[in-house]
Amino acid sequence: MLELLGNALLTVLHWKYLLPLFAGTFAGVVGGALPGVTITMTIIVLLPFTYGLDPLAGLAAMTGVYVGGSAGGLITACLLGIPGTPSAIATTFDGFPMARKGQPGRAVWLGVWSSFFGGLVGGLFLILVTGPLAAIALAFGPWEYFSLFILAMAMVAGLAESSLIKSLISTAIGLLITIIGTDPIGAVPRFTFGSAFIGGGFPFLPVLIGIFAFAQIMGDIEKMRQPSAAGEAAVKRPSLSVAHLKVIGEILARPFLFLWSVLVGILIGVLPAIGGSAASVLAYDQAKKISRTPELFGTGHPEGVIASEASNNANVGGSLVTIMAFGIPGDAVTAVMLGAMTIHGIQSGPLFVSQNPGLAYGIYAAYILAHLLMVVIIWSSTFFVLRLTSVRLAVLAPIVLVLCVIGAYALNNTMDSVYVLLIFGVFGYALVKAGFPLAPLILGLILGDQIEVNLIRAVMSDANPWLFLTRPISGGLLIAAALSVVLAVWQHLRHQKRTAGEDEADF
Amino acid sequence: MRLGRDGIAGLIGLAVSLSLLPQAFGLPKLPIVPVGPGFYPVIVLVFLAVTSAVLVVQDVVAQRQAAERAGREEAPAASGRAYGLVGGAFVVVGAYVGLLPYLGYRIATTLFVAAFQLLLERPSTLRQWIIFAVIAFGTTAVTYVLFEQYLSVLLPRGRWTDW
Amino acid sequence: MRKLVLTLTAAAIAVGFAAPAGAQFPDRPVKMIVPWAAGGDTDNIFRPLAPLLQKQLGQPIVIANVTGASGTVGAREAKGSPADGYTIYAMHDYIHLVHYAGLTDVTYKDFEPICLVSATPSVLTASPKTPWSDWKGLVADAKKRPGEISVGATLGSTSHIFPASVEKAAGIKFKYVSYDGLAPRMNAILGGHIDLTDSNLTQKGKVDAGQLKFIAIASEKRDPEMPNVPTLKELGINIVFEVVRGLVVPKGTPPAVRAKLGDACAKATAEPEFKEAMRKQGTRVAFLNQQDYAKFLDKIDGENKAIMTDLGLIKK
Repeated sequence: MLELLGNALLTVLHWKYLLPLFAGTFAGVVGGALPGVTITMTIIVLLPFTYGLDPLAGLAAMTGVYVGGSAGGLITACLLGIPGTPSAIATTFDGFPMARKGQPGRAVWLGVWSSFFGGLVGGLFLILVTGPLAAIALAFGPWEYFSLFILAMAMVAGLAESSLIKSLISTAIGLLITIIGTDPIGAVPRFTFGSAFIGGGFPFLPVLIGIFAFAQIMGDIEKMRQPSAAGEAAVKRPSLSVAHLKVIGEILARPFLFLWSVLVGILIGVLPAIGGSAASVLAYDQAKKISRTPELFGTGHPEGVIASEASNNANVGGSLVTIMAFGIPGDAVTAVMLGAMTIHGIQSGPLFVSQNPGLAYGIYAAYILAHLLMVVIIWSSTFFVLRLTSVRLAVLAPIVLVLCVIGAYALNNTMDSVYVLLIFGVFGYALVKAGFPLAPLILGLILGDQIEVNLIRAVMSDANPWLFLTRPISGGLLIAAALSVVLAVWQHLRHQKRTAGEDEADF
Repeated sequence: MRLGRDGIAGLIGLAVSLSLLPQAFGLPKLPIVPVGPGFYPVIVLVFLAVTSAVLVVQDVVAQRQAAERAGREEAPAASGRAYGLVGGAFVVVGAYVGLLPYLGYRIATTLFVAAFQLLLERPSTLRQWIIFAVIAFGTTAVTYVLFEQYLSVLLPRGRWTDW
Repeated sequence: MRKLVLTLTAAAIAVGFAAPAGAQFPDRPVKMIVPWAAGGDTDNIFRPLAPLLQKQLGQPIVIANVTGASGTVGAREAKGSPADGYTIYAMHDYIHLVHYAGLTDVTYKDFEPICLVSATPSVLTASPKTPWSDWKGLVADAKKRPGEISVGATLGSTSHIFPASVEKAAGIKFKYVSYDGLAPRMNAILGGHIDLTDSNLTQKGKVDAGQLKFIAIASEKRDPEMPNVPTLKELGINIVFEVVRGLVVPKGTPPAVRAKLGDACAKATAEPEFKEAMRKQGTRVAFLNQQDYAKFLDKIDGENKAIMTDLGLIKK
């Protein structure tokens, strides 16, 4: 295993892979730092560039985006007080106060080094656990997969911040989109109204790109006439110089907090469909509970920054485990990565690591190197990145949209995909305006076909429907799904008084 | 009975699911497969119908409560949101996508980037006009060369222009 | 703004018409539509062919994977492309099946043949968790418990038609479970969720590693790569089942252009490099020229129709 990893590291150090990895990590840091541009958005913009690359080069670029984005958010979180990406929300709680107290360097570098070490521990987990987990995944029959997907959907619907019922509707819409087109078993056309355009169904990536890109960009355009929050925090050049060893010492002096945050991040990552923002907020919450000085949280306490940043990068490692062992995306970012693999004809799943060791270890290597690159990039160009955050929307929006169009077109080399992109762009924006969370919809979209196929396979393999409950793993997963819905309902009842009509997009 | 935004959304969900259900039941059965291709869609549609109905009921209840409190809190109006711009942006993107196969990638993209910039911000000084033009032509040129030459992605050629 | 658009459009149209129409074919890149994903079996066969064709034609051959709806999206796209030789379609004999299954109106008759390229024999493959390891054991077990041995297959596709023909010839009965594509079938068969499936010699590595069992190969004679796998014919089952793939162009393509493409294909497929690439895909090079390929297409179309009628899957 070490030998494979060593070879992979040497391979990825070749410029053919290092260049895309660097570009991806850089794009990730910038995209992560830009408020309003999420990691998903960055990876969507980068997607068309990976079509023509070697599979490993493309995946290295995407891994770079994921790692870079999870760290990049902390720059704006600490220096401007705006989370650059949702997974840096918890970093603003203590990072920004610390920077305002005159320690911007300490805030940023506490975050960077926590991300770095958190990510590396996550990487260790990734390398050690993916193989064994894949062996378990092989034992998953259609019943287990079906129940796993139900669990994922139940958890995401329960986690969404707006009403539970709207999350469930969102999930149903996502599932419904995947039904349209020919059925996956016998290729019978469903709800196509005889149209050849709908006949092929709606390909996943154009739908995803349309929903995300338009909801985001149109949402930004909406607010153009409002005074921007980032503008007044115009970039002064605070000194970020700091004694790195001392900062690293600060992190390592709290091994329990650090490891606990990493663990939270990894677990949230492994669970399908729950993203980095949940990881950082949860880890922050946990840190506050176990801290000896909980009253300091929110005032620029280093523990808050460490918890949030260590967990959101560890989360990346966890998510990669899930796509590599099960072939199931953990969130929209990994869904795009999986889509990119499919374009290159690589089927992720239980056999992925054993059949494509070069690629699998290449991804591990890219993951590790991306953390080094991330530190170098932030070290050398924090201010450049901050300057980029002031690029005007009038310039950014059309370029991003052009790349989305290329991404959709080149996926299939037909205009049909571009039409799908536009249709779902309008649809996604309308849903956001109607107050529906998008995360459950995306999950429904990602898992829809798989749920149906596994359900039908189960029925075809054995006529006994009780197997879903009597097979131990499957039954356990279904019980967990039921519990998570009950829990969500219970929490909603408790919080009902406080629900305000918040209609921010939930990415 | 008054309906809010949620109520209307719920009614749409209900209408969609109820109108598709008969179609789902009407799907042919397959040989070999014990359940037909309509089996799973029926489950999803029923799920959508039920959740939509619950949303409508929730909304009706909420509206009634709100009516009782009689406008004590006015719903936050969408203040200062530039919906006109959003509409314009959709129109420009729609025109781009519609014309792309006819004008070809190079012409359509240059026009699109230019139009979109003009929509959001009108350049005033000469310097701004130069930047504006550089971005419009630059985006097209860079993406075209990069994708066609290096990434083996053939971009659409115009049916009218053959370019 | 609008005026600008109009002027630019007019100018561009003028330029378009002014371009010389009868330049020597090909004077720009040729697009090869592969209706399946990159890295799939079909893609793996045509991707090594592209650079060799390019060498003959002197222009880049760009592969465009137009995937979706059992390959019918790509077929539709190819059919709708201009018949100028700049779009060639990498066809798989699956096109006959999807047509008879009522999935698409596109048939092989919408295209003009260029050449047949390859033939990949199907191999009946079993899970390591099955109690038998040869044909005899399989048949005995299948007779003992009819309809219980499960086969993973894409319904209505070659992976279904092949075991179904075997089933009929041997007088046994299988149970089918839908697994689309070779990779998911491999996951399921290694995990023991299905007993049998159709695969090809690309899975040789897993057989050597003891993860899979090859029961029989559906070719005329044993393959030199796997000499210990018997052919179905030897076992008394008269079935030869090969997946064939070739190149076609939209109907109406000028004969001169077709001849040029046909020549290039003949030379490209004759290269030893191509033969070696095909060997790695468990495939043999099976070149046929335009006329022979046309006859061959008519023949397999009839065969496919008969099989689909037999299985009750026919809709057209």
